[in-house]
Parts: sequence; C-alpha cells; structure tokens
Amino acid sequence: MIPPSTHKYADVIHRLEAGGSMLPDTPENLEQIIGIYKAYAVPMDFYWRDLLYIAERVFLNPLPAFKYFISKQYMDLANSYSGDNSKLRIWRGGEKAHPELVAFMKRGETISMPKILHHLWHDRINMEFAEACMQAMFWHQDMGGRFNDYLESKAYLANADRAIKAYFKGNPLMLLLYKLFPEMFIEQVRQLSYYSNLGLFWEVMAPVFFEMSDLYDEGGINSVPEAMDFLVNGIFAVAGRPIYHHVYMGNECIEIIPKSEGFTWLYEAALPYVEAVFYRTSPFRGTKSYNAQANQVPADQADFHYGILYADVYPVGSAGIPPTLLMQDMLHFLPAYLEATYQNHGRGDEDKLIQLGITFQRSMYNVTSAVIQALRCALLYPLTDPDLEHLLANRRFFEAQMDRFLRPEARLSDIQQQNYR
Amino acid sequence: MLIVLLIIPLLIGLLQPLIASDSRRLRSIAAVAPSIQLCLGIWFLKNPPDSISIEWLPQLGLKLELGVDGLSLPLVILTAILTLLAICASQLEYVRPRLYYPLLLSVNLGLITAFLAQNALLFVLAYELILIPTTLLVAIWGGSQRAGAAIRFLIYGAISGVILLGVVLCFGWLNRSGLNFSYSSLSQASLPFNQQRWLLIGVLVAFCLKLPIVPLHGWQPKTYSQAPTPVVMLMSGAVSKMGAYGLLRFGLEFLPDGWMYWSPLIAALGAFSAIYGALNAIAQKDIRLLIAYSSIGHMGMLMLALAAATTLSLQGVMAQMLAHGLIIALLFNLVGLIELKTGTRSIAELSGLMNPQRGLPFTSSLLLIGLMAAAGVPGLAGFVAELLIFEGSWKIFPWPTLACLLASGFTAVYAVRFFNRVGFGRLDPARANWVSTTWGERLPALILSLLVLIGGIWPTSLTGISEATTAQIAISNTSTNQLEQQS
Repeated sequence: MIPPSTHKYADVIHRLEAGGSMLPDTPENLEQIIGIYKAYAVPMDFYWRDLLYIAERVFLNPLPAFKYFISKQYMDLANSYSGDNSKLRIWRGGEKAHPELVAFMKRGETISMPKILHHLWHDRINMEFAEACMQAMFWHQDMGGRFNDYLESKAYLANADRAIKAYFKGNPLMLLLYKLFPEMFIEQVRQLSYYSNLGLFWEVMAPVFFEMSDLYDEGGINSVPEAMDFLVNGIFAVAGRPIYHHVYMGNECIEIIPKSEGFTWLYEAALPYVEAVFYRTSPFRGTKSYNAQANQVPADQADFHYGILYADVYPVGSAGIPPTLLMQDMLHFLPAYLEATYQNHGRGDEDKLIQLGITFQRSMYNVTSAVIQALRCALLYPLTDPDLEHLLANRRFFEAQMDRFLRPEARLSDIQQQNYR
Repeated sequence: MLIVLLIIPLLIGLLQPLIASDSRRLRSIAAVAPSIQLCLGIWFLKNPPDSISIEWLPQLGLKLELGVDGLSLPLVILTAILTLLAICASQLEYVRPRLYYPLLLSVNLGLITAFLAQNALLFVLAYELILIPTTLLVAIWGGSQRAGAAIRFLIYGAISGVILLGVVLCFGWLNRSGLNFSYSSLSQASLPFNQQRWLLIGVLVAFCLKLPIVPLHGWQPKTYSQAPTPVVMLMSGAVSKMGAYGLLRFGLEFLPDGWMYWSPLIAALGAFSAIYGALNAIAQKDIRLLIAYSSIGHMGMLMLALAAATTLSLQGVMAQMLAHGLIIALLFNLVGLIELKTGTRSIAELSGLMNPQRGLPFTSSLLLIGLMAAAGVPGLAGFVAELLIFEGSWKIFPWPTLACLLASGFTAVYAVRFFNRVGFGRLDPARANWVSTTWGERLPALILSLLVLIGGIWPTSLTGISEATTAQIAISNTSTNQLEQQS
C-alpha cells in the first residue's frame, strides 16, 4: 500500500486511484450527468454534421451566409460509428440525424415558419458555439500531436493550393486575390481543417452520449464510475480512427489532409479538444472583461483557464465554455427527469440555464476524468498493479493532473458538493 | 372635506383590529385609508377645499384649524402615497398585525394633521402624536438592535417636541393679539427682531432634530438602520419632511427677520451636513447606513436652499422635499428587499445582483434608478430639485453652494461605488440560493421609480402646486431678496 496523498485534492486522487471519477458517485450526480449527455448529444449531432458540411462543402465561400443551412445530404449523412449502415458500428442507434433534432429543426421552440426566420430569431441550433470550440483549438495550437505541425508542411500547402485553385476555378477575381494574399487563403483552409477535425471528433461523441442515455434508461449504467468507464472504453474503441480533411467540389474530392497521413482521433482531436475547450479557451468572450495589462490574462497561452472546468456559470453569457448558446441548445432537449430536478431546486424555470450549466460542468469533469484515466491506461500502469513503484507513478500522474485545479477559479471543490447547483 | 382625511385613518385604525385578524385582510383594510386620502388629495388639486376652524380648547388657544395651501397639499399627497406603499411593502409575516397597521395609520394621521394644521398648537399636538407610534414600530418590528434605536429616537424626538412646544407657547404669549396660535395670526404678528432671533434658535433646534441636520443627527443612522422597511420608508420619506415643513412655516414665514439673521449659519450648517453625509455614505459598509447618511447629505442641501430663501431656492426646497421623499423611500424599500432576500445588508457580502438568472435583476435595476436619482442625474426627480437649489442659492451663499455641489459629486461617488460592488461582479454561489422577488414585492418600488421618473421629465409636478406659496414666503423675506437683487 502506498501512503495517503497529501495533495489538496487527496480525496479526489484516492477516488481516481480506486477507479472512480473526479465527480462523487451519487445517484443524483449520475442522473444529472447522463441527462445532460443526452441533452448535449442532440445539438452535437447537428454540430458535427454542419462542421463537416462547412469544411467539405462551404469551404472558402467568401459570403458564407448560409453555412448553418445544412444540406439534406449532410443531415442524412451516415454516422461512421452507429446505425446499420455505418462503416464501423460500435454504438447502437441510427446513423441519420436524431429524430428529436429533426423535429426541432422543423418547428424550433416557437412555431413552424420559414428556415430563415428561425435562423434570424435564433430559434435554432446555435452553431456559433461549435465554431467557438473550433476557434479555441485552432488558436491554442500547441497542444501536442502532429496535426498542427502538418498544417505548415509542404504537402499540406500543396494540397491546400490545389483545393483553392480548384474551388475558385473560373473566378478570376478570387484567383487574383489569392495571388496577392496567398497566406490569407491558406490560413482560412487551415481553419477549415480544424472544422473537419472537430466535426470528426463530435461524430464519435454524439452516439456515445446517446447510448449512455439509453443504457441509463434501461438500468444498464448505475454509477458514476460505470458512466466514466463507458467513456474510457469508447475512447479506446475509436482512438485510432482517422482525422482528415476532404473537400468536395461537385463529384470531385480533394484530400487536403488524407487519411493516409495517419492522424488519429485520440491524439489529434480528443486530447487537443479537451485541452483547448475544457481547460483553456479564451477570455475574450462575454460580459466579463479582463485587463491584460494588469496581468489578469496569463502571458503564456498554456496557462489559460477559461474553460468549463473553471467557468463561472453564474454570470450567464460570460467568459468560458459553455457560453449561453450551448446552454440554450441543451435546454431544448432535456430529459423529463432532469427537468423535474431543476424544477425542484433553485428558482425552477427562472434559473434553469444556470442549473443546467452547473450540471454540464459536473458532466465535463466526468468526461475529463475519463480522459485522465484513459491517459493513465495508455501511458502508465493498471490501478491494480502490484508494484508499488508503478502505483506511485500513477499517484504522481494523478497529482500532476489535480495541480491544474489548484487555482481558485477551478470548480473541482464546488462539484464535490451536491448543493452546488 | 378636509376632516375626512383625518377621520378615515382614525376610524380604520380603531376598528380594524375588531373586524379582522388575518394579516392579509388587515393589510388590505389598512390600505383603504391612504388610498382615499390620495384620491381626495388629487381631487383637491383642482377643487381646493374650504378651511375648517372648530374650537377645541379655547382656554389654551387650541383650535381644530385645518386648511391646505401650496406647501401642505403636496406633502399631504406625498404622505398618502408613502403610507399606501409602506402598507403594501409590509410583510404578511409581521407579528401582531392588529397592532402594527393601526400604529402605521397613527403615524399617517399625525403627519396629515401636521400638514393640514393651521394652528401652531395643533401642529405641535400632531408632531408629538407621531413620536409614540413610530417609536413602538421601531421597538417591536425593528432589527436586532431595535431597543437602542427606538429609545434614541424617542429621546431626540421628545427633546425636539418639548423645544417646539416651548417655542409655540412663546409665540402665543408674545402675540399682541392675545393667546392665538392660528397661522394667520402668527404670520401677521411681526415680532420684534430680538425676539425673532432667539425664538428661531428654538425653531431651528426642534426641526433640525427632525430633519435631521448635523450635529443633531445622532438618532438617524441607528434608527433608519433598525426600523422595519415600511416604517423607515415613511420616516425618511414623510416624517423627516415635517422638519423642513416646520422650518418653512415657523422659521421663514413667522420669523423672517430672525431667519435673515441666522441664515449664514443655517447655510453653513447645510453645507457641512451635505459634505458630512456624503463622505460618511462613501465610508459605509452597511447598505442601510449608506442610504441613511445619503439622506443627511440631501437634507443639508435642503437647508442651504431654505437659508437662501429666494423664490427659486424655495421652489427647490419643495422639489427636494417631494423628490427626496420619493427617492429615499424607493432606496429604503429596495435595500429592505435585498436584505430580505439575501439575508445580509453588508456591502462586502453582496455582489452580482444584476445577474439575470440568480440575482435580483429587477430590484437592482430599480436600485440603479434610485441611486441615479439620488446622485442628481438629469431626467430624474433629484436633478430638478438640486438644480433649483443650486441655482437659487448660488447668488446668496456661493461658498456653501459650492460645497453642496461638491457633496453632490460625492453622491455620485458612493452611488457608483455601491452599485458597482453590489450590482456587478461575481455572484457568490454559496449565497445565491435566495428566491426571486414577487410582483407584489416589486410593486411599491416600481411605483416610486415611475414617480421619480415623472418628476424628472415633468418638473412642474414637483413645483407647480407650491410655486405661488413659496413665492409669497420668499417675497415676505424682503431683506434676503434685496440682497439677491444687490448681488
């Protein structure tokens, strides 16, 4: 036996060492996180489709006013990991867009009206949130993996050049602009590669969350560690799936990042996503203002701490993920039991967005726990390893992970309490 | 008709405990009295009622003489509004409601009688009548230190009352037309300058204790911080105005030469009070004390305008009485609501109240309006009053006016500082489990905010009724106006 940890979050570390999650294992926590996974999965089913649609079809459209008006082809696009027609069926469920999503896109939360009116009224899925996540990944960049370095490679530049020229074929004005400002166009393509990256990441996560919700409803998931283990197993099941960027012009497909480059889901999408969105993001959004000259913004991007794990959910609309738009999206798809929980606490309907945001925070601590356990699994030793040195190595790893939550903004201590709502 | 204004609260106050016991019903019944007073008050604006004069104790010169003019009618309406809103703001959970509402109506009765009185002895009677129910309201329904606050209020009030009684008796004894306390007689008495000079000291002390003005303010912060919200609304909004009204009537109208003699000192006291109140408000850590000290500051400005006694400054006095009555009642109502919901009134413990989901966004938005009005932001009632005061006082007392302008600047400092701390910033999750305010709780503040807004965009509503009367008083103070003309 190794001695107990003396870390500030010793209790959490001991729980992780026992195969648990950062989130305490209580029935209410389980109900909250599964409920919110379901509510998150429905808009996420739209996010990944539209991200791929933008990366592959809208591409460099100089006036992408209708980029959120996804084509039927992409709404019906078969998910690669669920449904009978999927290429690699891992999770149950259908391959097309979720029925609740389809129904919502028809009527929104108001009444049935032309799509443009739903869009202008913001009675729709808020893709701006998905784009904010993509921009966080694109902006932070240096988060391990080879993906970002590849965007500077000769092969990538040649592919991007080919795609740009093909896309603007017969458009001398844009070709002239490309000639004059090539870096501007290349940078746009790089950003579109991140659209594809995030779209492919969420293509996996949506069916994972749907299945977790179904299993919970059937009584198949009964504890927080079980929910976390399901995520860990899912991560390993798709860890090696390819991350790529293809562009379609009619029937022609240009492979800007071919699958053959060997970029994998875990290292080039999942881990950078968690780092950029859960931990870092950026302090420039919302109503809270930061004074960089007063050192309120860290000089090093790696020290940024504006993600959901640190977010102050109370000032709705403020800095950090999830911004209000995601909460609004999830609000439309809450399962009945979560609705009932919110009605019974706080101000009921009035502060549902905040309760929902805090639930989301809890659930993302659980997802982060899954990532931490997956990393431990991949890089270190089993939790039941008989070698004390190995267990100490695991301990050091967990403690290093918990060090990131020592800063006062972290909500780890808050989520240990059930009355944090 | 005027007698109805007094009979209604008296009857309801006496009969109410006998016909109802349910708190909600008692509140509804109590609200009838100020509602009728308000309707009658508004009706009197267009249809001035006849004065009443009924012999009461002729041996003492006491008559039930009632009448309205430009000074008293606006204050009668203000009292009716504030009583009605104070009743609306009263919690159903208050213990002993069968005692609470009659006491509140007694305060209303005393105030209305004082403003309608056309007899100095009757005024003193009403002045004293207010003291006991107000003390009881603070002592029974007040905060944790209510006993000390009530005793302090009682002692200061009793001293004020005794001094006023002494002054009024002197009025009667020195009146050449016999033992007559009628205002009409006193205003024509033309006492010798020396008598006026000494009598005015008594008048000043008595009414400055009520306003209050530094250094006679010892009771106010403690009492305002301990009194229940509806009572402090009435005390700060209407009862304190009795002090200003008394200075206008007894000082300026009956003792003009004495007033002229002491006016530089009165102006200096006003300026000192304004600065002292504002600086203390900046230093406060308790929201109620902050509002209490801000009130002292505003009363200081009012004193400056009274000292100047020009036509314009006296319009400013009336505007300030009405505007301050509404604004201070609004602020106390809102801080009371904040205290009720959050369980604290410590500025350090409050933040993020503007949060749309978990804060008190409606309440804090109205608080912002109230603070802006207190700071004299254009478009709100406070601006009209302060502009008239500064404009009217500048030529007579430039230095005290400058000091009051500085105090007005300080008002903006504490308003911004206070709201920035309480309204914005991060809402503390450990504290943010309070329930939101109901429309019933919001209603008094909403009405007061609307009135403050109306006063700001329609200034005549504050000065129109009293214009002629204040001009008369200012004109009677010839020496001051001569000075104004010379400068």
